[in-house]
Amino acid sequence: MSEMYQEGTEELLLNMGPQHPSMHGVFRMIVRLQGETVTGIEPKIGYLHRGLEKLAESRTYTQFIPYTDRLDYLASPHNNMAYVQAVEKLMGVEVPERAEYLRIIFAELARFASHQVFIASAALDIAGWTAWGYPFRDRERILDLFEMTSGSRLTVNAMRIGGMSFDPTPEFWAALESFVDDMPEKIEEYYNIYLGNEITQGRLKNVGILSKEAAENLCITGPALRASGVQYDVRKAEPYGIYDRFDFDVPVLYGCDSFDRNMIRFLEMNESLKIIRQAMRDIPEGPVMAKVPKIIKPPVGEVYHRVENPKGELGFYIVSNGTPKPERVKIRAGAFVNLQCLEEIGVGTYIQDLICSFASLDAVLGEVDK
Amino acid sequence: MLGKGLFKGMGITIKKMLGPNITEFYPEVLPNLPKTVRSSMGLEPEKCISCSLCAMACPNEVITLTSEKNENNKKVLQTYHMDVGRCLFCGLCTEACPTNALTVTQEFENSVFYPEDLDWDMIARSKRNRKEGNE
Amino acid sequence: MDAINNLPVKIADVIRGLFADPNSIWADLTMTLIGMILVIVVIVVAALFLVILERKVAGWASQRPGPNRLGPRGWFQTIADALKLLGKEDFTPGNADKVMYKIAPMFVFGIPILTLAIVPFGYGMTVIDLELGIFFYLGVTSVSTLAFLMAGWSSNNKYSLVGGMRAVAQMISYEIPLIFSLLGVVMLTQTFNLTKIVEAQATIPFIFLQPLAFIIFLICGQAEVNRAPFDLLEADQEIIAGPFTEYSGLRWGLFYLGEYANLVAMCALAATVFLGGWQGPAILPGVAWFWLKVGLLIFVSMWVRWTFPRIRIDHLMHFAWKVLLPLALLNILLTGLGIYIYQLVIGG
Repeated sequence: MSEMYQEGTEELLLNMGPQHPSMHGVFRMIVRLQGETVTGIEPKIGYLHRGLEKLAESRTYTQFIPYTDRLDYLASPHNNMAYVQAVEKLMGVEVPERAEYLRIIFAELARFASHQVFIASAALDIAGWTAWGYPFRDRERILDLFEMTSGSRLTVNAMRIGGMSFDPTPEFWAALESFVDDMPEKIEEYYNIYLGNEITQGRLKNVGILSKEAAENLCITGPALRASGVQYDVRKAEPYGIYDRFDFDVPVLYGCDSFDRNMIRFLEMNESLKIIRQAMRDIPEGPVMAKVPKIIKPPVGEVYHRVENPKGELGFYIVSNGTPKPERVKIRAGAFVNLQCLEEIGVGTYIQDLICSFASLDAVLGEVDK
Repeated sequence: MLGKGLFKGMGITIKKMLGPNITEFYPEVLPNLPKTVRSSMGLEPEKCISCSLCAMACPNEVITLTSEKNENNKKVLQTYHMDVGRCLFCGLCTEACPTNALTVTQEFENSVFYPEDLDWDMIARSKRNRKEGNE
Repeated sequence: MDAINNLPVKIADVIRGLFADPNSIWADLTMTLIGMILVIVVIVVAALFLVILERKVAGWASQRPGPNRLGPRGWFQTIADALKLLGKEDFTPGNADKVMYKIAPMFVFGIPILTLAIVPFGYGMTVIDLELGIFFYLGVTSVSTLAFLMAGWSSNNKYSLVGGMRAVAQMISYEIPLIFSLLGVVMLTQTFNLTKIVEAQATIPFIFLQPLAFIIFLICGQAEVNRAPFDLLEADQEIIAGPFTEYSGLRWGLFYLGEYANLVAMCALAATVFLGGWQGPAILPGVAWFWLKVGLLIFVSMWVRWTFPRIRIDHLMHFAWKVLLPLALLNILLTGLGIYIYQLVIGG
């Protein structure tokens, strides 16, 4: 009889379910609350699983490229690049110079666009309704650039094994030039309306601390790692494409909190503009596609290739058995691995801080669930 | 000064309120899409040589076509269906076509009410578009 | 201009004259009844107008036109919203406390009507000219805290409960600096009566004599009305809609309109106490000046809402108790000192 009436408050089990205004996709978290403090988190994923890795076993190498677009749908050139460069590594194909420069321009434009969406959705999570609109307004210009060349705004499908699928028109270069000239003051504007605010800084500083040891132990990659003081970027550690010819910095911050995870993406946007300017200046004339056979049959073997996604490190591990269809494709997605640190940064804080910290990790469910 | 960020934010908002709007007025004003946009596919049946390279290039088995041989022992196209409900609009089929019979078109208002209408008969569509003078 | 100024007063006199004894209790009752109906109509129309104004201002802040389909450039959008809400199913959740669930929206919409009854729209144009005007106002607005708690508890939903708890914490914390900021004005004019306070501002509006109190009043007013940056109650991104989660149809509409009615009441009080009420140059009648000032304050409130993100619950409490309350007390101290020095210098 006495067990039924216990003293004290009870723990509340709150299901922040797949349909929620701030879950960045269909992500589900079961949160144990004591008042407003979080005491336990259990993430549940799989609501967007489409079976991409199994689909790859029944598609040829070229036919799988549109499927890789749908992984991290906010920065699809990076996914294309990781897959295509992995197959080229396996086959030993040499890509022409012009195609390499075009790949880098597309990748950096996609990084810029992805960080813009990050700023907008992170602002929306703390109810900065107006700060949502400005990055999306400018992202339209990047999407127009993609539309002019590859034909599609979001899932670009721009790269092929051996080069690119198109050669841009002069209109593209004019539009790109005006874009690159207009953007630095817009980045200032995003800062003033979102991070420069005292209210936002109070919400984000010293919230969601991810220490350097914890980040290294949990294999976190991408901007979340660099905001905890570890200088590691795949573009500098293991340069792919022609990244070693470009002069850019990798920003590192030492605060380990959500504010730094937000701030570092602002700094990365500036670096992307630098890279695009250098690529526009140095791009040579020439073909955009190498001579590859019509039916792509890589030799028997396996390869692992990784690129620096805006979310983290994206890796493709491909096992080939000599036929036109791969034996096994395994995708190592940055956002999936980064979600491991939710317990580390969420437990012990308020539920509002949990929302902000989760937003600062920038998980895209297409990558997490594949 | 304490609160400087707050005042800067309010300054930006009031400037935007007094400035012009930048929205597009769809559907009164239709957008002008570039020629490369992959919003829809269009077929020109006279150029088609029924090589089936498009059906082989498609990742999702969207295209089904039949042909028969005429007097000169050349293939002539009979039917050409695209099951657009399964289509990714990736454009691999248009790249594979050797005679440029299958191209991307810029029609984007493609929604239908019944799922049966998603099975496009490309030859009938090209006849209808030519009658309306769109091609 | 004088003719238009006193037109409502003249009409009131004419109606009073229709009675056999213009000063009888029946005449008084009838006039009060007419006044109440008028106030209800005014507040309902104002709340309905504010719905579309808010969406338009939100659109302008993001460089877009806001709703622009219904009516001239979209200004009749509220009609569509109201019709949509009327057409929804009227249900009560299974395990909810039915009585409290049904009367909570009525409280939220009824309180601002009570408060607007004591505000003077012009000279002699008050429904009830209470001697304890400000006191009555503060007492009545405290009851809206209860309404949110009732809605949160009776919905039998965890999200609503969290929202209701936040409501109590926020609204109680911000009432105290609100009260103290108004005390400065009361010290200056030695009265609680709103008409006398407006008349005391004939030479200089109190915003110049009490700037700190004005800013504190505006901030606490935003918090009392649950607008950003203090809208933790209905934080979409965290607790879906707080106490309003289980309401739909016209019940939710009453909550929504009640928030705007609260805003109108708060800005009307600010315009009366700090900005000089109906006084202004004789180009426009007094009533027009009053509504212009209220409109300006409403615009400032919307401007602040659409610029800033939301504040966290413990920062909210720190701000109220550790920043606003000492500032309000400092304001009272300075006002007292100022009055003393003024009397020494002038009173002789």
